[in-house]
Amino acid sequence: MMIVARVQPAAFDIGVEQCALTDGRTDIGAVVSFTGWVRDFNERPDVTALTLEHFPGMTEAALHAIAQEASARWPLQGVTIIHRVGRLEPGEAIVLAMAASAHRHAAFEACDFIMDTLKTRAPFWKKEHTESGSYWVSERQSDRDAADRWEHS
Amino acid sequence: MTLTHLNARGEAHMVDVADKQETRREARACGAIHMQASTLALLAEGGLPKGDVLATARIAGIQAAKRTHELIPLCHALALSKVSVEFTLDASSNCVHVEAFCRLNGRTGVEMEALTAVSVACLTLYDMCKAVDRGMTIDGVCLEEKRGGRSGNWSRESGSESDDTSARKVDTSSVENAVTIHFLAELRERLAIAELTLDWAQIPSQDIAGVKLGLIDRDPKFKALLDQRVLCALNQAMSQDGAAIAPGDEIAFFPPVTGG
Repeated sequence: MMIVARVQPAAFDIGVEQCALTDGRTDIGAVVSFTGWVRDFNERPDVTALTLEHFPGMTEAALHAIAQEASARWPLQGVTIIHRVGRLEPGEAIVLAMAASAHRHAAFEACDFIMDTLKTRAPFWKKEHTESGSYWVSERQSDRDAADRWEHS
Repeated sequence: MTLTHLNARGEAHMVDVADKQETRREARACGAIHMQASTLALLAEGGLPKGDVLATARIAGIQAAKRTHELIPLCHALALSKVSVEFTLDASSNCVHVEAFCRLNGRTGVEMEALTAVSVACLTLYDMCKAVDRGMTIDGVCLEEKRGGRSGNWSRESGSESDDTSARKVDTSSVENAVTIHFLAELRERLAIAELTLDWAQIPSQDIAGVKLGLIDRDPKFKALLDQRVLCALNQAMSQDGAAIAPGDEIAFFPPVTGG
């Protein structure tokens, strides 16, 4: 199982990451990837930018642990998780989750699991900037519910 | 330098650790098993007759770490808080590198557990692959690094124990009897503080709940930490109020996470 778990300010290239995941492998039958993007509306309608803070050290370990957990639940050949930090503007990609498996169902489910788990367990915090000021984003019950369903499956 | 497992008469004995203070102990050990290129290829493809070789060897290593005291006569039974065993397939050297990591808060080190995990993981790899390759060799089993305890830190790279120990004494003297506390994101802004150290003597009970009470005693603004939504990480792992702490620990308080 190959795990890539990175936290970085720089943009990522999904093509490059997918090549790195599959390079030299002939046993991978499916790669599912999710890319999260910054939107211009959230808690307020005019988001101009957001700032991502994290807890260095713990964040990388948490992403690694999430990848390990996914590989314990599904037969995976590789997992890539990349999360950006710092200042980001609407239209920029913020997070990438990628799962490789022999078959598509495992890859789809693992990717879904990784994102649900990341949203409730990885130490990242978003501050949104708008014309009318800046504020820390609140947690969402829907994210907690989404993560909870994996506890019972 | 004396051998601690020998008593005054030179007889083997188990060291009494009841009066030693509990500290965080970590150890990392490595080893490798060399095999034919064709065996390594079969292992990578999952084509060996006994099935998933690496998953089996990983479980064997973890189980072995937990049972080290049954194998090594004068070794204490330890309640390990973490054991991990990782494998790296190395096609250029025709071998599998095995690395084990063990951790606990306790009174004795975890080097023997890490070394046992590596050894048994290697033995299991041999067992799982021997049907196709009897000439495999296990080698290079060694301790790479240990942290914590009276003798301090040691790593193979820096080589000398005394140098590293003295360096550790200098750099941790201020936190040896204290814990470091971080406040992150919205909580940092609300409390107007990013980091502080709390003396061990100011903590009423040796757990996260005690740290909160010690902080509130210092300044009532820390009552904000009693909010159920405030999360806590002890040495960078999510923890609850009841989690036991030790001097030198790093504690972080933060609001619910909102990444992704």
